[in-house]
Amino acid sequence: MGVFVYKIICLIGLFSLLHTGYSAAEYRATLRVIEQEYSSLPSDILLQGLISLIVMMYGVLYSVGDFKEIRATIQLENKSWETAGNRPSFYSFCHRGRNLCATSLTTLKYNKTSLSNDFDSYES
Amino acid sequence: MHWEEVRDKFRIWREDNSRHSEEVVDLWVNYLQSQKHKLGDEQWMVEEQVFIAGLDCGRLDVADQCFIALSKQFPGSVRVLKLKGMRLETLERHEDALTIYDAIIREDETNSTARKRKVAVLKSQGRIQEAIKELIEYLSKFMSDGEAWQELADFYIKEGDYGKAAYCMEELILQNPHNHLYYTRYAEIKYTQGGAENLELARNYFSMAIKLNPINIRAYYGLIVSCSSSITSSKLTSSKKKEIQKLSDWAQKKLTQRYEEEKSKSIKMDKLQESLNSLCITDKSCSS
Repeated sequence: MGVFVYKIICLIGLFSLLHTGYSAAEYRATLRVIEQEYSSLPSDILLQGLISLIVMMYGVLYSVGDFKEIRATIQLENKSWETAGNRPSFYSFCHRGRNLCATSLTTLKYNKTSLSNDFDSYES
Repeated sequence: MHWEEVRDKFRIWREDNSRHSEEVVDLWVNYLQSQKHKLGDEQWMVEEQVFIAGLDCGRLDVADQCFIALSKQFPGSVRVLKLKGMRLETLERHEDALTIYDAIIREDETNSTARKRKVAVLKSQGRIQEAIKELIEYLSKFMSDGEAWQELADFYIKEGDYGKAAYCMEELILQNPHNHLYYTRYAEIKYTQGGAENLELARNYFSMAIKLNPINIRAYYGLIVSCSSSITSSKLTSSKKKEIQKLSDWAQKKLTQRYEEEKSKSIKMDKLQESLNSLCITDKSCSS
């Protein structure tokens, strides 16, 4: 309901603004017919233009939805120390992980004996 | 699971710095490995990620495959050489790893990752004091490295040197004044130190963390415990005590509110599930 009212206000403002433009054009056309020099628009047209602009702005502002707060921390809001405090460059690999992973024990043995030699020779 | 989903997931984990090593290895082996040629240039970042994850869970078979692919693609690369050092660390050949890192630093003095790895080696050997010394030397050269400051803070906490740990957190807050987690951390350190002054600081920093992020539950709890431990001190004037009591009550109210919200959310979810179930024709199809 509220949004609808503001949309009507916005439309009224728009029409009024269009009307101002039309009157201004008409005024200048009339001046040309009665062969008078143009100096400036009459004050009622200027006032109408200004008021209709303000009315339209008011309508637009309230009909498009609520404003959102600008927050500096919006990206950090759902971060926890678990991810923010995780430091990949300082990982240490000598921990229980290798024993907890199901197949790791066998692979570790396998690697230490046979593969590490192949691996080193491959690298060098 | 589609390989593109896995790729996006990996990308998020890479950007967030989250560890998830076991999942990475699992998803790689089951879904992504066979499709890796479709990844384009991203393939090499993923391979590096999987390599590190593989080392983390001791899956050297997976890690070695990635390593071989990487060293074929980038022969003579320093970054790959660093990965080799990390592999040696996993095999507990710390001295060999250190030689590699030293070689990298000799070649490229500005290489910060190799220096950080040296600290990590000392850490996994349990030589904390030496690691601290090395890290301080590193920080005197690369003082804008937040990760290193965090690490140093953790070292000091491990050693029980809370004053110095607090200094590191101050440095981090200066670097990143919008991060509520640093405020919470700093407040926790101050709370652990104890004493009327430190408790007051802790209260202030917990409050600041709440101000920055009103859903920081940890900060609410911190505020409550720091209030309740400073209220027992006999030196406080009664007006001050009243103020602290008010603060504590407020935090408790907020916490209860937050829990109520979550509760009503889960009730809503239950109701949604119920209505979904009633829509089903067979019972079994939506048991989840």
